[in-house]
Amino acid sequence: MSAGASNPEYVNARVRARRASLFADEDYRKLIRMGPSEIARFMEETEYEREINALGTRFSGVDLIEYALNRNLAKNFGDLLDWSQGRIYDLIARYLRKFDVWNVKTIIRGIYTDTPAEEIGTDLIRVGEIDDPTLDRLLEVDEIEDAIEVLSGTLFYEPLAEAYEEYEETGVLVPLENALDREFYEHLLDDLGRPQEGPEAMYVEFLQAEIDFRNARNALRLSRSGADLDPAAYYIDGGVLFTQSELSRLVNDYDQLVDHIADNRRYGDRLSGALTRLRDADSLIAFEHALDAALLEYADKLSSIYPVSISAVFSFILAKEREVDNIRAIARGREVGLSENEIEDELVIL
Amino acid sequence: MALELGPELADVALQSGGPTLDNFTDEGAAALAVGLAALAAGYAERGIGAAAVGAIAEDDDMFVPGLIMTVLPETLVILALVVVFIVG
Repeated sequence: MSAGASNPEYVNARVRARRASLFADEDYRKLIRMGPSEIARFMEETEYEREINALGTRFSGVDLIEYALNRNLAKNFGDLLDWSQGRIYDLIARYLRKFDVWNVKTIIRGIYTDTPAEEIGTDLIRVGEIDDPTLDRLLEVDEIEDAIEVLSGTLFYEPLAEAYEEYEETGVLVPLENALDREFYEHLLDDLGRPQEGPEAMYVEFLQAEIDFRNARNALRLSRSGADLDPAAYYIDGGVLFTQSELSRLVNDYDQLVDHIADNRRYGDRLSGALTRLRDADSLIAFEHALDAALLEYADKLSSIYPVSISAVFSFILAKEREVDNIRAIARGREVGLSENEIEDELVIL
Repeated sequence: MALELGPELADVALQSGGPTLDNFTDEGAAALAVGLAALAAGYAERGIGAAAVGAIAEDDDMFVPGLIMTVLPETLVILALVVVFIVG
């Protein structure tokens, strides 16, 4: 936590400049027609120059692109924390914990599959509350239980310790990963209350949308796969779309679940196109991309309603993540020889 | 206090030279107006300046637009100066 005055003006000016310099949709169309090494060369001429040059001697092809993307992502989001002070710092830091979750998940998965520490290390995105020395210590441990011990003192220790017992019984990672996700989402709305108007209300609305979309995504996946898992274990509190009992009931009936989302006043209209496609084509991936796009559009809208607030920062974070995901999808897609149309389906383009 | 006591006592107050509202002249009021306007301009420039420096940090070409935007609230002080000339 930080004290002192907040500086949303400064952060906003910088973030908006960065947001504007992200790849445009036409750039993706160009990239789709390139091979991995051409993509790397293209990236070298953009803001990824430093990362590509730094990693160019050690890696090549798709790996180079991937590591450069991860490193650039961490650099950009680390900058956000450097720039901001006071209230806006708290809000950004809270949101960037999502990379703590990602890092801890990656490490736990790495331990589970006996992956060497260097390989896990390159997949980490070093931004967030868990500092570098702790991450390095985490990389060195060989047992999941020890990893959880290293995290003692952080927010994630208690839920992980609880979930570990379940992991020992079942031997699958799902309980641990769920515990992390839930801890992250449930802390997002800490001490914000339910403001009715102004930027804070929009901020809460945005986070609720994110939680709702996460719930919807989990529910649809569960419902689609027909797996015999307890939906309550996946439920994240704080959204407005589902209550826990509604979710448990709806998971068993796919059509009703889709109807429930379509009937929602807040999201129904915004997602109507995607929902129709979901009904017709049964394509869950397309729907998830539509959710991502809807969330991004939402953040953009909020940032123009309240110019000097946290919304612009969210819009940047989401847009940057989307860019990284898109470039990675293109590079990986080209590597395995997907056609241009297939790759285009994988992209989230507004 | 002096106001309530009426004009008879005002002369006394003026002669004694103490800080009362009665020796708060037009010039003094104009000066106060300029001071308050300058304070307001400073407050307005705080946010704009922070944003301008942020923009310049990302893109050097923003220096001139940033500078212009930052000093725009100075017009408040210039307008307040007009009052000084009217009064004086």
